[in-house]
Amino acid sequence: MSATAPGGFARDEYDELAKKFRFVITDMICGAGSGHIGGALSLVEILITLYYRIMNVRPEEPRWADRDRLVLSKGHAGPVLYVTLAEKGYFPKEWLPTLNLDGTRLPSHVDQVRTPGIDMTAGSLGQGLSCACGLALSGKLDGKGHRVFCIVGDGESDEGQVWEAAMFASHYKLDNLVAICDYNKLQIDGTTHQVMGLEPLADKWKAFGWEVFETDGHDWDALFTTINGAVAVTGKPSMIIAHTIKGKGNRLVEGKVGSHNIKIPDGKTWEEYLEGCGCRYDLPYCRGV
Amino acid sequence: MRLPLRFTLLQRSITMDYKSMEMRMVYAHTLNELIEANPNVLCLEADLSKASGTNPVVCDKHPKNFINAGVAEANMISIAAGLANEGKIPFCATFSCFASRRVYDQATISVAYANNNVKIVGTAPGITQGPNGGTHMDFLDLAIMRAMPNMHVYSPCDPFELHAMMKYMAAAVQPTYMQLVRSKVTALFDETYVFDPQKSVRLRQGGDVTIVATGYMTQFAVKAADELLKEGIGADILHFPSVKPFDVDGLVASAKKTGAVVSVENQEIIGGLGGAVCETLSEHHPVKVRRLGIPDKFGEVATENYLFDKHGFGVKHIVEAVRSLVRAKK
Repeated sequence: MSATAPGGFARDEYDELAKKFRFVITDMICGAGSGHIGGALSLVEILITLYYRIMNVRPEEPRWADRDRLVLSKGHAGPVLYVTLAEKGYFPKEWLPTLNLDGTRLPSHVDQVRTPGIDMTAGSLGQGLSCACGLALSGKLDGKGHRVFCIVGDGESDEGQVWEAAMFASHYKLDNLVAICDYNKLQIDGTTHQVMGLEPLADKWKAFGWEVFETDGHDWDALFTTINGAVAVTGKPSMIIAHTIKGKGNRLVEGKVGSHNIKIPDGKTWEEYLEGCGCRYDLPYCRGV
Repeated sequence: MRLPLRFTLLQRSITMDYKSMEMRMVYAHTLNELIEANPNVLCLEADLSKASGTNPVVCDKHPKNFINAGVAEANMISIAAGLANEGKIPFCATFSCFASRRVYDQATISVAYANNNVKIVGTAPGITQGPNGGTHMDFLDLAIMRAMPNMHVYSPCDPFELHAMMKYMAAAVQPTYMQLVRSKVTALFDETYVFDPQKSVRLRQGGDVTIVATGYMTQFAVKAADELLKEGIGADILHFPSVKPFDVDGLVASAKKTGAVVSVENQEIIGGLGGAVCETLSEHHPVKVRRLGIPDKFGEVATENYLFDKHGFGVKHIVEAVRSLVRAKK
């Protein structure tokens, strides 16, 4: 496999980074005793692509006015964003093993008041895309050039407010807004198909006036090309339906109903979950090593 | 075209004749003033801009600062949170029932928990919903919003206070909920009024009883006090423009002087102003309290006078409550 692709992208290094992220996420959640592992693991490639290859940000200046914004509307996926932000230098990696512990600055659901680099508090599902509309509209009103990215869960899309925001964004022609649906097709009570069918999902977003893309959410090249394509759209907002696998990269949870939230011990140990990643990293801030 | 100075002053004095305006017109014209002073001030509506008075007053004059979210109040509040996160100062108006109970979660998480500088304005609170009736009568907005950390909760009693309050809201960076009665109310203050959320305002002096009121009900409390004076009962009228923060010292000082307190609100008596009064006094200086307002009931289609009588919180009920409290003291 070729080591590099356009833009100095080192695929092998990114593969390694993704594996490391998954190991750290697993360690953080095990250290906390429980956590939303499935929906965090499904976003690893998407967040790496955004923060390492697409977004214009300054980790040393988290509130830099011209930065691109990210709203993690499925706020329970906090751990994957924390790993990304820590690796990018927003805050010390030593914070990572404090996930959900008493006095932590890394709560299970993302909180802009507590964590540097979090652009919007989320957690009560359905509100993030609306907030992202506010961020994007503000950019438009001020004639700014930054972009707003918003990651929406598929289960979250059951919330009516998501579709209120969908109407608003196209009515106000928010072409500086790119939403990504983490379409891993599992929610807490079962598959999205069983719990609340979303199909035809692409047609729904098209009908709401959005430019719609579909991609493999774990394929570096496809993600990079698709997100850049979405960013280039003018006159309307874009939705990228990213087909992902819930719990991706940890064989104990991958693709499984029930991977939304794990609790240690649930018949398995911390060590077993780490082994589920299929690789080991001897990182000083990983507590389960 | 540049207008002669005298003409612009005249125009300004007409626009500023808040005393004779409906409260919603004061709201709309004050928003225009605020936008002119700071273009970051935004007017958000959810298809009720005519009811709020901002259509056409704000949308004609400042179309770029006027954002209609359609009939989607929850979306409007979260959008406002996003806008506030970028330094905008959004004022979001809708009927108070939608501005409180319908958007409770968005106001909690997107606004208060995230500490975003959003101003939520609940119009036509309590019994002032008129012919829309029970479904639209909201007796709980003060209680709902008061229980929310980070949220300031205000209720202006007259056009001058509303004007001063909005200027304060635009300048202070904090989540705020404000009640707004749409109709005309009696002016109790004038142009010199300065709003301070930490302070209650004494409108009458008296040693026999303390009457605590907020918002729309303050005008009626003053009428009641004037009637009581005719029969020799002196009432301290304390108007609370802010239910949160709450002027604990002002209330306690008055209660120490009079030994009896009547609270009056256009709200359910649980959890709102009456709740704040009882919580405060029971901790700091227990005295006999009578709470007047809606006693744990839903609304219905009816005139305001009918509802005052039915729930017992109009002027004559305030007078009766004070009489019986003062009698019990002796």
